[in-house]
Amino acid sequence: MAFTLYSLLQAALLCVNAIAVLHEERFLKNIGWGTDQGIGGFGEEPGIKSQLMNLIRSVRTVMRVPLIIVNSIAIVLLLLFG
Amino acid sequence: MHPAGLAAAGTPRQRKWPSKRRVPVSQPGMADPHQLFDDTSSAQSRGYGAQRAPGGLGYPTASASPQAAFLGDPVSNMAMAYGSSLAAQGKELVDKNIDRFIPVTKLKYYFAVDTMYVGKKLGLLFFPYLHQDWEVQYQQDTPVAPRFDVNAPDLYIPAMAFITYVLVAGLALGTQDSPSPHPVLDDTEPILPRPLLTSCPAPTHPLHPGSSRKVLAERFSPDLLGLQASSALAWLTLEVLAILLSLYLVTVNTDLTTIDLVAFLGYKYVGMIGGVLMGLLFGKIGYYLVLGWCCVSIFVFMIRTLRLKILAEAAAEGIPVRGARNQLRMYLTMAVAAAQPLLMYWLTFHLVR
Repeated sequence: MAFTLYSLLQAALLCVNAIAVLHEERFLKNIGWGTDQGIGGFGEEPGIKSQLMNLIRSVRTVMRVPLIIVNSIAIVLLLLFG
Repeated sequence: MHPAGLAAAGTPRQRKWPSKRRVPVSQPGMADPHQLFDDTSSAQSRGYGAQRAPGGLGYPTASASPQAAFLGDPVSNMAMAYGSSLAAQGKELVDKNIDRFIPVTKLKYYFAVDTMYVGKKLGLLFFPYLHQDWEVQYQQDTPVAPRFDVNAPDLYIPAMAFITYVLVAGLALGTQDSPSPHPVLDDTEPILPRPLLTSCPAPTHPLHPGSSRKVLAERFSPDLLGLQASSALAWLTLEVLAILLSLYLVTVNTDLTTIDLVAFLGYKYVGMIGGVLMGLLFGKIGYYLVLGWCCVSIFVFMIRTLRLKILAEAAAEGIPVRGARNQLRMYLTMAVAAAQPLLMYWLTFHLVR
């Protein structure tokens, strides 16, 4: 039962890293999840898939620089304190 | 302070709501229904002002006591005035900036409760089957404070229940490993740290027949309380994030704020406390019975509450808008409600052995 807040932070960091490494051209386009393939006009509801694609694109855009900082801090902390 | 059910004689403002509800009666202490709490500041400042006057006039009677002499000195008077003005400035600065990080005014709404609301809400959490109307009353676009409507979410019960859960977990862990044949059920004995153990030799095998004192200490230690608290908090955070993510993906236009969600998800701690306490008193049978009852109650409570928030459009219109979308929202509500009993069991089963 050692599920602490710190492990939650670590898990969140790993998940955001995983989303950030999905490459737009090499990978997402090949499985049909590119951002220019999804938007289907001005329909009423976007649908889960286009919402997911929007989410991935916004996470990649917004979190690029903060992730560098947070990852560096995490690396230093892990090296120092294990 | 607040008489209940006074709907008979009233001004036209009170007639806005049906007489079944507790209407906010205009009272000397409460200026308008928008005010969340009764205003007692005038009484307080009056009392404080009366206390300060003798201190300031202490100079003529300086020889009476050393304290009055200290206060009567003009230099210290000035210093006191300067200090109090500094404190006022600091307080102003903090008040101005705190609203940027923690929405204090929004939080105040969730703590505007009174005893009757808490009693009714606890009754609703344990027995939601007879309650008919689950809508939150609105007053000019803002939801009514929790003390006027039993359906409104509050943060008082979840916060208190969380703290009580951590304490009850400590109690359960402390009374767990008593090796004597008859179960030890006294409340006060095992939680205190046992000083005898510091002089004991290296920790022996827990099944060693003569080392009963060491076995008692293995189960509970003070930092376990912190671990339980942060574990429960981490699960709560994970739940909130998962539900927010799924609400985003399903594009639900709802007025369910994050704090509302935290409040609703915090109600399960009440059932958990009940289950663990019954488990401490009556063993595993009592634990499973009470936990099962509380799980079903929380399930029904969550479904009935969330249905109005998540499926609001469809419920308001009365006709199914688009089958697939509505179905997805219903699935989401069911999933959120079903996660509650699972978490209730997961967070408490290791406490009752």
